[in-house]
Amino acid sequence: MNMLEKILPKIEALDAMPTIPVIIQPLVSLLRCPSEQVDLEKVVEMVAYDSTLTAQCLRMANSPLFGRRNTETVRSAVLALGLKRVEGILLGCCLNRMIPPDKWVLDALTFWRHSLGCALVSSRMARLIRYPDPEKAYLAGLLHDLGILVNTLTCTEDFRKCIQAAREKQVELHGSEQEHLGFTHCQSGKILAERWHFSADVTEVIEFHHNVAAAPSTPALVSLVHLSDLLCRLRDLGYGYYEAASVDLAGDEAWNILADHCPALANIDLARLTMDIDGAMDEIVAAVDAVFTPQQVAAP
Amino acid sequence: MTAVETGIANAVVKPNAGEVSDPAYLKIRNVIYQSSGIYYPDEKLYLLASRCARRMRVLKANTPAEYLEHLTVREKRDEELRLLLNEITIGETYMFRSTAQLEALRNVIFPQMLEAKSARGFKRLHMWSAGCSTGEEPYTLAMFLLEESTKLLAGCTFDILATDLNDNSLEVAKAGIFGEYALHNTTEQLRKKYFKPHDDKRLQVRDQLKSLIRFDRVNLLDDGKMTALKGMDLIFCCNVLIYFDLSSKRKVIEHFYSNLLPGGYLFLGHAESLYKVDDRFRLVHFPKVIAYWKPPADCAGRGKP
Repeated sequence: MNMLEKILPKIEALDAMPTIPVIIQPLVSLLRCPSEQVDLEKVVEMVAYDSTLTAQCLRMANSPLFGRRNTETVRSAVLALGLKRVEGILLGCCLNRMIPPDKWVLDALTFWRHSLGCALVSSRMARLIRYPDPEKAYLAGLLHDLGILVNTLTCTEDFRKCIQAAREKQVELHGSEQEHLGFTHCQSGKILAERWHFSADVTEVIEFHHNVAAAPSTPALVSLVHLSDLLCRLRDLGYGYYEAASVDLAGDEAWNILADHCPALANIDLARLTMDIDGAMDEIVAAVDAVFTPQQVAAP
Repeated sequence: MTAVETGIANAVVKPNAGEVSDPAYLKIRNVIYQSSGIYYPDEKLYLLASRCARRMRVLKANTPAEYLEHLTVREKRDEELRLLLNEITIGETYMFRSTAQLEALRNVIFPQMLEAKSARGFKRLHMWSAGCSTGEEPYTLAMFLLEESTKLLAGCTFDILATDLNDNSLEVAKAGIFGEYALHNTTEQLRKKYFKPHDDKRLQVRDQLKSLIRFDRVNLLDDGKMTALKGMDLIFCCNVLIYFDLSSKRKVIEHFYSNLLPGGYLFLGHAESLYKVDDRFRLVHFPKVIAYWKPPADCAGRGKP
């Protein structure tokens, strides 16, 4: 735990970083209200305060991934995307603004392609297996690797070594982190998630997505994101440090855990889901490139 | 079915989304998926639309909805479905079409199999290209095996069975004469090594390659012949089952299952699915390709309810 204690002060300092616009805190609180209490006009107004956020919401809403075209107003973009996706974009913006372009260890586009891919696969799979909250699955998928950004910010050079070692030895990143840092992105991500008051279930996904069986209260959500993460990495949406050579999803422990909660999983057409992901691949790449290109993020 | 000799079939201009927004395409997609297992995700519907467009011109059908009728209620619907499937699979065969498949063999499947086989003392690999059409698939495999024979597959022996129902296709396959379309994904180095000039436009495979392959006419629904084929490590069956109805499909898959050794793999065409056809094979994901796996007896039930 030594290393983790060492970065704790740094993570705490992230809270106070001036690059987080003042408007974001109230907007986050607003978005996290129970959906029937959210004042939509207030959300639209606050998104419109921030030009980057506005641009990113519009681009995302106009992406074929969300089936919308010609969305021109912030209001229709927020409606098209839904509150959870707006929250995801908001947090993505915050995180991007915190990391200077030259500090990225994993390329920013690679990171967000994987995150957005995982978000989309999680929500599609959630709908297919009738998981009760597909929007939550989207957000959890988008943020599951939060710790990678924390590590990038707080221990850049050591983290760079972890990635290099993982790439060279073809091992998974969390194993390499454990060896070189003494903690993983799951642990550091959890700390930031708690500081930023992420909901308990999303925090649990961040902490346990590589150790599904240990998830204490939302094992189904954790398993769902874990499986989506695996699928994405096998469909060319990984980080390049480790791509499991083959995966028998139905033989993964996460599959059994999820099947206990969502019996519809037994009848899922996995081949078709995979083809859906393949089909959406170009659009995912295009959407991320449009939304998260470094120039867009560097100038808030 | 034969591959077209040009790449034109694949050059489809991506239209605006509006042009495929006709809900009839979603119904056509379902008809195709339910009958053949071939699936078009939303983002690829424009491809389906362009395939239908050609049939619609022939039939003088003006709208997708009208074409849907040809596929579902008209008297010749089975025939029309077959013709549409032909359009869909045009251009599907050429050498080294599925490099992701070969990567899966190299990185995962062969090492896995060789480990298991070494334990038993002999390393022999049997492969079957079921529905080999004009031979692109088995020749690709043969080149791949020979290239690996000094590396990964050192000390192994291997053979390829290549079968088709169509005598004409088999004759073309046996002759082994290929034009530019079939070879457009084959490197210059491999062309020099495994082919010799035939005429000014085409190349012919060398005997070294042919000698690895045994060509035979097999009807996949012929129980007698199918039962006699045993001990396969790998079966490749690309865009063949799509023409079968559900009960025939089940029968063929049943045979494939017993043709394969435990731990063997079945590869289908890149958009084909076995959903609701079989639940004994396990779907396994490799980078950019999926395969169906026959689990060894000791873990047959794992993970399935």
